[in-house]
Amino acid sequence: MMLDPRTKMVMVICLTSLALVYNRPAQLLLLFAVTVVLLALFHFRISAIWGYLKPFLSLMLFLFVIQSIFSPGNEVLLAIGSVPLITTEGLIMGASVVLRITVVIAAAMLLTTFSSRDFVLGLVQWRVPYELAFMVSIALRFLPIFKDELINVVTAVQLRGIELKKIPWGQKLAMYRRLALPIVYGAMLKAQQLAIAMEARGFRAYPRRTYLRRLQFYWADYVVMVIFLTGTIILMIQPFI
Amino acid sequence: MPFLQLNQVAFTYAGKTSPALSGINLSLEKDDITAMVGPNGSGKTTLTKLMIGVLQPTAGSIYLEQRPLAQYSLAEIGRRIGYVFQNPSLQLFCPTVAEEISFGLTNQGCDPTVVEERVGFYLNYFELTAYRNAFPLYLSHGEKQRLAIAAVLANEPEFLILDEPTIGLDAYRKRLLEEYLQKVASLGRGMLLVSHDIAFVNRMAKRVITMGDGRIQSDSGWRGNAAYDA
Repeated sequence: MMLDPRTKMVMVICLTSLALVYNRPAQLLLLFAVTVVLLALFHFRISAIWGYLKPFLSLMLFLFVIQSIFSPGNEVLLAIGSVPLITTEGLIMGASVVLRITVVIAAAMLLTTFSSRDFVLGLVQWRVPYELAFMVSIALRFLPIFKDELINVVTAVQLRGIELKKIPWGQKLAMYRRLALPIVYGAMLKAQQLAIAMEARGFRAYPRRTYLRRLQFYWADYVVMVIFLTGTIILMIQPFI
Repeated sequence: MPFLQLNQVAFTYAGKTSPALSGINLSLEKDDITAMVGPNGSGKTTLTKLMIGVLQPTAGSIYLEQRPLAQYSLAEIGRRIGYVFQNPSLQLFCPTVAEEISFGLTNQGCDPTVVEERVGFYLNYFELTAYRNAFPLYLSHGEKQRLAIAAVLANEPEFLILDEPTIGLDAYRKRLLEEYLQKVASLGRGMLLVSHDIAFVNRMAKRVITMGDGRIQSDSGWRGNAAYDA
């Protein structure tokens, strides 16, 4: 299915807005199913979703436990003395938080179905200043680079004979703390070099930019955008009617 | 008994249809200097990454002293095989040059006096003493290269894999590196040198493997052997 990148950006905004508004696991599960179908329609490898979600699993588990324990509820499932620990409402709230994060991450994957160049072009044609649009695209591009850098450092540490899985947690944390500073500093150094390289190639040298390619809306884009925007507004205001 | 042995090894990067390497059969001895040459994209670096367990082969098997490489942890491999990346910036992660050299030794519980002595020696040998407290990523490419090599050599691994070790080094420092590697080799420690520097390869290696299109195109054998002389 071929759609303009801006249409996909609208879809992401709609899906994430609904994910933030919805509170019930069933609603969020349905929203996730819709997102997966959309990803499949845009030829995104469904099995890759797990790879994107995996790094967030510990955060999700943490939030699930916290929400389950600290959300108030009447139907007590587990209590310590007279203090209720886990309630049905707490579990529902915990599941909702996990599903909400899942939907937001899955929806963001729609942004990977087009190039970062199209992303900038789309924002610029929406009258977002070029510098700002470019900055956003660079930030998005830097994230996987930063991840690769972390993987490289962890690999390099192990190749120096350090058994990261076997050292005690305290020692491990101390090591990661020591490694964090050079990694962040290295990323800043890269950003600085990138800025110099960009200026050397005439970034912001002239007030007017020209583009080789322009994005074009087709009727399918208008139809999809109208459906998504109207649907989202209706679903959001429905509980108040 | 070969130190490293590769049997019918193949590797394909995720999302790619054509293999980066295929049908690789290779044995490396513990006490010899072997060089690997070949054009860009011929699979040299991929092959070295398979040899140290950073990448896993999609087919075939790799053995380190007759035990499957997959059974070793990265740290176990790292203690036996010292690896210098093609891009030295990727393996520098400490706040200072001195700590970069001492990192492996300190974390393996080496005696602080020995660590200090060895750090002093490598800083001096690779002419990095002036940068002892400098941030490694602030160094020039040549200096980073020397530091990466020094940090790996300080661990005294049994075997070395150096991916393009002469890039960024001037003639004088290239000679210093050669002398040091010869010294390391004379102690019975072998190495695999991946290089485009033919003069360096000819001076250093006893055996030259040529890669092309993800395959071994030729293997000179050992100097003095019939295969090499042919």
